[in-house]
This record gives sequence, C-alpha cells and structure tokens, in this order.
Amino acid sequence: MLDESVLSQILNRALRRGGELADVFCERRGSLAYRLQDGQIHDGSIGVALGVGIRVVTGESAGYAYSDDLSLEALLEAADAASLIARTSGEGGARETLPSNASSPRSSLYDAAKANGVAQGQYVALLERADVAARKFDPRVVAVNAHLTDELQEVWIATSDGVFVYDRRPMITLGVQVVASDGKERGSGYAGDGGRTSIAYFNAHSPEELASDAARIAAVNVEARPAPAGEMEMIVGAGGGGVLLHEAVGHGLESDFNRRGTSLYSGRVGERVASELVTIYDDGNLAEERGSLNVDDEGVPGQHKVLVENGILRGYMQDVLNARLMGAASTGSGRRQSFRFPPQPRMCNTYMPDGQFAVDDIVRSTKRGIFAKSFSGGQVEISKGDFVFMVGEGYLVEDGKITAPLKNATIVGNGPDAMTKVVAVANDSRLARRHYTCGKGGQYVPVGVGMPTVKISSITVGGTVRG
Amino acid sequence: MDEAQAVELAQRAVEFARAAGADEVEATVSVSRRFHVEARDVTISKLEQSTGRTLGARIFTGGRKAALATSDLSDDGMRAALARAVEQAEVVAVDRFAGLPERFSGDAPDLALFDPSIAQRAGDGRVDEALELEQLVRRCDARIVNSSGSHYNDVVSITAIANSAGFAGAYTSTRASRSTGPVAHDGDLKRTAHYGTAARHVDELESLDAVARAAAERVTALFGARKPPTGAYTVIFEREVAASVLEDVFAAVSAANVAVGNSWLVDRIGDAVGSERVTIVDDGRMHGKLGSSPFDGEGVATQRTLVFDRGALRTFLFDTYYARKLGSASTGNSTGNGIGTNNFYLERGAESLAQLIAGTKRGVLVLDTIGFATEHASGTYSRGARGLFIENGEVAYPVDEFTIAGTYGQILAGIDAVADDLRFDSPVASPSFRVAEMTISGN
Repeated sequence: MLDESVLSQILNRALRRGGELADVFCERRGSLAYRLQDGQIHDGSIGVALGVGIRVVTGESAGYAYSDDLSLEALLEAADAASLIARTSGEGGARETLPSNASSPRSSLYDAAKANGVAQGQYVALLERADVAARKFDPRVVAVNAHLTDELQEVWIATSDGVFVYDRRPMITLGVQVVASDGKERGSGYAGDGGRTSIAYFNAHSPEELASDAARIAAVNVEARPAPAGEMEMIVGAGGGGVLLHEAVGHGLESDFNRRGTSLYSGRVGERVASELVTIYDDGNLAEERGSLNVDDEGVPGQHKVLVENGILRGYMQDVLNARLMGAASTGSGRRQSFRFPPQPRMCNTYMPDGQFAVDDIVRSTKRGIFAKSFSGGQVEISKGDFVFMVGEGYLVEDGKITAPLKNATIVGNGPDAMTKVVAVANDSRLARRHYTCGKGGQYVPVGVGMPTVKISSITVGGTVRG
Repeated sequence: MDEAQAVELAQRAVEFARAAGADEVEATVSVSRRFHVEARDVTISKLEQSTGRTLGARIFTGGRKAALATSDLSDDGMRAALARAVEQAEVVAVDRFAGLPERFSGDAPDLALFDPSIAQRAGDGRVDEALELEQLVRRCDARIVNSSGSHYNDVVSITAIANSAGFAGAYTSTRASRSTGPVAHDGDLKRTAHYGTAARHVDELESLDAVARAAAERVTALFGARKPPTGAYTVIFEREVAASVLEDVFAAVSAANVAVGNSWLVDRIGDAVGSERVTIVDDGRMHGKLGSSPFDGEGVATQRTLVFDRGALRTFLFDTYYARKLGSASTGNSTGNGIGTNNFYLERGAESLAQLIAGTKRGVLVLDTIGFATEHASGTYSRGARGLFIENGEVAYPVDEFTIAGTYGQILAGIDAVADDLRFDSPVASPSFRVAEMTISGN
C-alpha cells in the first residue's frame, strides 16, 4: 500500500521526539454483506476501510494517531501527533532499515486467493437455501433472518525494529436467526458458521445444516420453561461452552491487565488457579479458524500458548508493549479492530483439550443442574473475576436425566471459583462452529472458542422459578 | 474540512452514484477530530489524536437498496465503491417501501451542539486534567491502590448529508468526557468501579473532584459484598443501570424490531404497559443535549415524541422505511442505516434516591449490572448484578454475584417510585426508579 521509503520516513518522523519503538499499520479492507428477511434479499452493503495507524511507544506510554488520507503530508502529520507522547523522554529510538519488500508468512493458515471471482448469485443462493431449510425443518417456524458477510483484510506492518510484513486475511460468515411460535409461546434460535476461508467452505458445511440447527433451537425454546433460580450443578456443552473459558479465565490472562496489576491473575504464574482437570490453550495457528493469524497486528507470528496446564497458571497473552515491560516476548497476541485503533493483547482461539470422562457419565452423575449446550453471550469483570453468561440452548437435568428445555437462563459466577469447581472433563473437545466476536476497550475482533463437555459442581442460575 | 466542504463532498458522492445508475441516493459525510488521553498514576499512558472521515451512502435502483460505508474518500475510491453498491442492488428484492423521505428538515433553531472552547483547547490542559483526576481518585480512599486509568476525551464532529432529492444540510457538534476506574483491595480481592461524565459543553461536565469521589464511593461501597439470599424483593435501579433498562425499552419500541416481530410490544399501542409513573419521551430538539440534532440520519427534522404517557404506550419510533411499512410517519429517528434514539429518557419524579431507599422495606439497590439481552421478542430481563441490600429503609450490606430476573413488562408495570436524579450524560438517560418486586437469585 505504501512503499518502503514512505514507511521509513513515517517511522523516522514518529521517533524524532524520542521513544523506543514506532510502528505503522496500513490496512485495506473490503467487505460485501447481504441480509435475507421474509424469504427475500432485503438489502446489501459494501464496506471499505483504507487507512494508516501510527504508534510511538516510550516506556509504558503509547502515542497513537491514524489517517485515512494517504497523502505524505497527512501521514507525516499523524506521525507528529503520535510522537507527542515522547516529547519529554529525549531518548533516541531504534531505527532499523526496512527490507525493500514486505515479507509474507512462509505458509499461510488461510487461502485468501480462493475468495476471488465469486458471483453475487452464489451468496444469494446460500441465504435462500438457509431460509428454505429452516422453514422446512419445523412448521412452527414463523420468521427467518439470515446474513452473509465476505471480507478481505490486507495489512502491511512496518516497525522501527526492521519488521516489514504483509498478511491477507479472508473471513466469511453466515448466520441464521429463526423465530418459532405455537400461537402462544415464541422461541428463537441462532446458528452461525464461517472462518478465515471462502464461500467454498459451505460446500462441506451446508447452509441447510446450519438453518436446521437454528430452527431446532427455536422449536426447543417454544417448549422451554422458565429457568430456575438459585445454586445448582452445571454441565457446559462441548464447543460453544468455550465462551466460559474466554470470559472466566481468558480475559484475566491478557498481559495489559496483569502488567498493571488489575487482574486477579496478576503475579500468579506457576500457582494453582483451577482444578487439576483444567488445561487451557490459546492458539493463533489453527488453519482457517476465526481467531487465527499468520501474523498479529504488530507483525509477530501467531502462536500456540499454554495458559493453564493441569490447573497451574503457565503464562499470559502478550503484545509487544506489555511484553517489553514484563521482560517477556510477544506471544503474537497484539490485535486491533482496524487502523483506527492501537493494538491490545487479545485472545485468538481459546480452548480446552480432551479430558477422560464420557459425556453420558457426566449427565448420569448430575442430581439437579443445568446443561448449557451453548451460550449466546457473556461478560466478565477482570479484577474480581465475576462473570455472566446468557444460555442460548439449555436444559434442566434431574436425577441423571435431561428433563426439560429452559428459557432465558443467565448464569452468574466467579472465574477462579468456577474453575476450582470443575469436577469432570469429557473426551469430546471441539471448537465451536459459531462466529464469536470479542469486545474489549471499544474494539471488536473475531475469535474462536472450544471446549469438551465439562461439569462444574455449583453455579448460580438466574431464572425466575424458585425451589 | 469544514461544513461546506463536507456538504460538497457528499454532493459529489450523490453525483457519482447517479452516474453509476442509481435512481435515488443519499450520502453522509462524517468528519471527526478525536482526542484521548489516559493517565495512570503519574504517567500519561495513552495520547491519541486523529481526524477520521467516512462516507456513508444509500442507493436505490428500481426499489432495490444497497448501502455503503467507506473511508476512501478519493474520487476514484468513491466512484468504485458506489458503482459496486449499484451492482450489488441488482440481487436485492424489490421493496416498495424503500426510498428517500418525501419531506426534509427546514431551518432548525440553534440547538447549542457546539462548544467552541473544545475546538480551541490545547493538548496540555487536557493532559493535565487526566493526570489530576488520576491523583484525585487515588487520594479519595487509602484502599484505592491502583487504577485502570483516568481519561479525558473530546471530539469535534461535522455531519453533512446530501441527497438526490435536493436536500443538503450539515451541523457541527462537540462532546467531551471525563472518567476514571479505580481499583481497590478488599482483603485478597480486587474491586473495580468506573464513573464518568459526558456533555456537549466542557462547562457542563461534572467537576474532576465530583467524578473522583463518585468513582471512589462506587468501588468502596462493595467492600465485603456477599451473595444475597434467593428470593423476591423490591429492586431499585440506580440511574445508570436504569438507563441501561431504558436502552432495552428503546429496542422494543424501535419499529425495525416491531416490524419483524422481534419485540414484546407488538400490538400493544394504547395499552397501559407501565405504571402511572412511566412517561418516556424521545426528543431530538433539547438544548445542548448529547442526543440532540437538527435532523436525523436521512435529513428528516427531529422532534419530541411522547412514547409512553403515564404508562400507556402511545407510539413506536420510526424512520421513513419502517413508517411506510407500518403505515405511520417518521419520528425523526433514522440513523442512516437503522433506527436510533435522540434523547430517550424517563421523566423524573419528585423524590430523592435516598427517599426511595428509605421507603423500601426489603430490597436491593442495584449499582451495576453485567450481561446483555439478545432477544426482545419475549421481553425477558436477566442480568448479573451488584449493589446494596436494603432492610427497613436502610442500607444493610453490599451484595454481588447475583442475578435479577423478570420481564420488561413487569419492570415498567412495577415502577412505584421515580427519583429526581435524571442527568443527560448519554442520549439514553433515566432517573433512578424502584420496581415493587423482582426475582433475585443468589444463594
């Protein structure tokens, strides 16, 4: 997007007041989206993002400025604005020479070329197939909304340490929302899928399968009864249950909170933070997954990180700024929503590997509890670790049997407390087939989550039915 | 870029789209100059300033619509993107309700949206403000030993709209905010809280001292918190939490949700949904408020709309498209690509929050909630919460790790007292209010 000499000029300008590190993040992003409503394509939209973000780091401080005007004058002005953070430091920054061409990662985790040359009709057909399949699945289906987005993000990252890399990141997403009604009760269901891949992905993962799943959940929710209120056992379903790891543990292991001492996990590497059955990885290296990155948004290759191993805290997710201050190396976790934002340490694909238990045995051992097959969302407060999850599909378990679907259950708990109460981990770990987006500090990035079926001995369910 | 240049750019986009084959076009150019400083302890940890420009456009061809958002404002970039939007509309179904409005905003009164002192403020004063707030909050209480940062933000924005029906308009607005997030040690636990103030005019912000004290009180109020016993109690929603409930009420009165059945208020116009104390207004013409503007996202004049009148649901909120679809008129609530609020608020009552507490036998004052709704069709409300347990009109002990559950219908119908503490520090605002009974799930 910008040539090496312009990038060098920007980096030099950014460091002229001092600072230890400067980086330039150039982005070009294009997206196409379609929405289906009432059986028809309701509208389409096009998104284009083109711009440059410039950062100067000095100690624990960062100056940041962006420009969507790509003239040299505007870019140098942005470099000046970013440099203001360093005006009192007086230190000269490192100035490596940039290579003349941006390097691409050796072997890509995703094949962006496959996204070329798709006719509009192919997108429309996927949405229409989803609509038909959802309506066919159950006569109680009254409304189907479906959306599809196909996006390609290209980034060029240059740093004053001499890094100059290029990455080309595709992302396709298909989501189906279904409302079912029996005339009295309404229920809704959602299913979504996709990843860093192309429309060809939906040859093997059909829109019919996805729409049927959304319709099935909507129909279950028509029959669902109000959730109970109070403490009980909880079984967390494989795949989508991974939202629990993301919220209850993952955010607390991001290095900015730990460097600042605001996370409950600060300074606890090597300590027991969970039941010994708990192992948690964050992996940016999985082929075509939503949270995967050939290089992160600071130019560092994506990595496989062990966060928790048999209950012991092993390490944090690091970006460049926090790693420097903590005497660690970046783990390729520096991510940003777009050129308008400075990077933050973030999760990629967070999951728990297989345990030893069988799912049937876990259900059989549960006297009274909730089986949360999937969560529709969650949130955590990272200092004390309190979290909330909204259950998308949940069932009551009584005397070892799944007895009734539950409506609108909310789970509330505390991360470290819940992790010490993990009493069984099943052998069915998988990543969720769902398009999760994580929000932090006003920035939204795509992530993946995964989990085997897990049992937690006690949790608070926030329904309305007592006793 | 000034207002006239922004309008000219929007008009150029309209011409490009017409040339590419669009029947009708609306183009919105937004230019925002943003400043953000974060202080932590004695250090400036973040200093960010940028000017961002975006073009949003809606194009209509033969009753088919497509939308566009781009930050590439070069002529070539705009031409290419608009041509692709016209091409994209080809696969969209014909929709007889799609199209530009028939009537646009005329001259609006001066709404005092712009504070020239923000546009003129130099960096140093703003940086010092963040540093001072950080020092103030740490001095409030010895148990405050850390912080997630103290912030000052401001933005100067130009919004310009032009369309193929001949409308062109622009306005400039400002917004400034101060906030802080202290961290305190409660034995082995760390507790955080956050408090902030925002306004269009700097002199309407709460003082640094007031922000620091409010944040410090919030973080220390919860020391020693425990789970409340599960049961049915009176619940008082403190004003910021109350405003979050109002946001969900807005979603249910948004015609975009009503039209697709995704609202618990479908077919309820005229019904006494809330108690006598529930009067909710959407007003785009309030002097100097954050939700005010002369016209909405499609150039339609904003207005004052009475949504709930002493409990009775009077109207939904519309943009042009959903007004046509549901046989009504726009209420000036278009965001350009959907329906949004102007100043959407619950009218204040006469009592203080302290009086609400004093009049509560057994209940919970909710200071903070986490979680969010995903479904408005059933109107079910469920949140994680923390706050203060009330017994016999007095605060008894702090509580956390519990949920409040019920329905929005139960909340609005159950409001038996509204406080006088309404403050417009967000486009959606509410005074604190009390709900006679809800389910609390603790232990």
